Amino acid sequence: MEPLEKFIVESEVDSEAQSYKMVMEDIISDLNVLSSIGRIYVSVRPKESVFVMAIILRKSFSPIELQDFAEVNIELSDKKKIVLSVKSEKYLPKTLELLWSRYGKHNILQPDRRTIKIICEDPHKEIEYIKSLVIDDPQTTLKSKLLELSIRAAPEGFRVRNQQFFDSKFLFVASEENIETHWIEEAKEMLKKLEEA
Amino acid sequence: MSQVLEPYIYEGGIHKHGLILELLEDIGGYLVQKTPAATEVTLIMLIPKDDVPLVEDLAKKLLGKVTRAPLTGVEIAVVSPTLAYHHLPHSACDIAEHLRRDGANTNMIGLARGMGRRVANLNNYEGRLINEHDIALYSFGIFRDCIKTKKMKLFEGINIPIIVTGGPEIATEEVPGSDLYIGNIGRIPHRMRKSDELDALDTMNKKVGELIDSIRDDLSKDPLVTIPARVMKEVHEQVPAINKVLTPSPITLQLDGLRIKLPYDEYKSKIHHIEFDEGFILGDIANISPSNMKNYILVKIKRESDIGFSI
Repeated sequence: MEPLEKFIVESEVDSEAQSYKMVMEDIISDLNVLSSIGRIYVSVRPKESVFVMAIILRKSFSPIELQDFAEVNIELSDKKKIVLSVKSEKYLPKTLELLWSRYGKHNILQPDRRTIKIICEDPHKEIEYIKSLVIDDPQTTLKSKLLELSIRAAPEGFRVRNQQFFDSKFLFVASEENIETHWIEEAKEMLKKLEEA
Repeated sequence: MSQVLEPYIYEGGIHKHGLILELLEDIGGYLVQKTPAATEVTLIMLIPKDDVPLVEDLAKKLLGKVTRAPLTGVEIAVVSPTLAYHHLPHSACDIAEHLRRDGANTNMIGLARGMGRRVANLNNYEGRLINEHDIALYSFGIFRDCIKTKKMKLFEGINIPIIVTGGPEIATEEVPGSDLYIGNIGRIPHRMRKSDELDALDTMNKKVGELIDSIRDDLSKDPLVTIPARVMKEVHEQVPAINKVLTPSPITLQLDGLRIKLPYDEYKSKIHHIEFDEGFILGDIANISPSNMKNYILVKIKRESDIGFSI
């Protein structure tokens, strides 16, 4: 695992913190979020029934629109068709899924792997919509991965959870009991420490 | 017992493995489990102590390997607090797999509500199911405080020996309710294959083996009327339906009985009337009851002191 800028795990017993750090490392690499996380601070205190985590992300990602990876034109020979020339196949399944749901499968043709033709009534109106169609939002994917990370990382019995997203920051508190406000304050303090580090 | 049986595992090619089985029959040993896998076969056997070299020589000729399997004939419940990602597949499955390498039969039991500190509990059915095994092995996490003060709620109602595995090094006496605590196997979310992790698993097998030896010692003070392997052989010969059962071990041996994986209602009478050459039926020397696991048959062999004789 390549090093994070800051990776702190605290617990009541040092050896347990070390073991927990290893657990966190495994989960981070399993979920493939290492490149997105810059700094991470975890405090787990089983006696108090609390798990607190603060994360600072490395960078924020902008949504991927269709025009970012495909050329969108109206077909010259048939003015009722829009032609997409896809440069990257990475987003092809998601693109087809979205187009099928809007225009129906019978209106989407795919003469070869990287070409998609859309049959529609008013291509001039639709073309703008298609160009700016959001195919993937890494931010949303990352958010769901961070939540997955938190749920996996927190001790299993800690089912009462509180999470907060800011631009590139993430706070998570979990407990077996009701969440106390001072734990959330503590998470914010941890975030501050990470920012200063 | 007239002869001492030693547990061994044969691992080798499927070609000519029948010779091993023939030899085993000739010397009066028992085949506990046969697991063919493509061109390989694994045989778990009980071999009369004096004849072990014969089997070893034959295995050598067949380019196979015979190793001692001290956990043979023991059914262990590997209990994990839940079936969530936190416990499975690692480390609970790694523990079960390692125990099986030494011949044990393991059943994974994921509790419905075993997680947490305050809310952890064991329900009645889970308790009854665990109690059908020889040993319960609980796989816990890395927090000393949880293991020492909170998780013993999961031992309530369990009357078989309890083994606990966890991350920290703690003395067995500090884990109330347990008969054996094994450290260095805590919450590990990856396959256990580093040398220190494998060492910990080897230590676990060794300690479990020692515990089983002490249970066997206790058992020998008032021995069973007959050994479970003998009953297994008679079931194979007298209830042909067992050969059509597709589970990996249609008959699972336990220290003081066996689990027969046939429907109870349909086969209870046949099992009850299994005859022995010595002139009595299984119903006389064993308690036959429905198992809590599916609708299987659980046979618990009576002690010599109950009947007044042994075979």
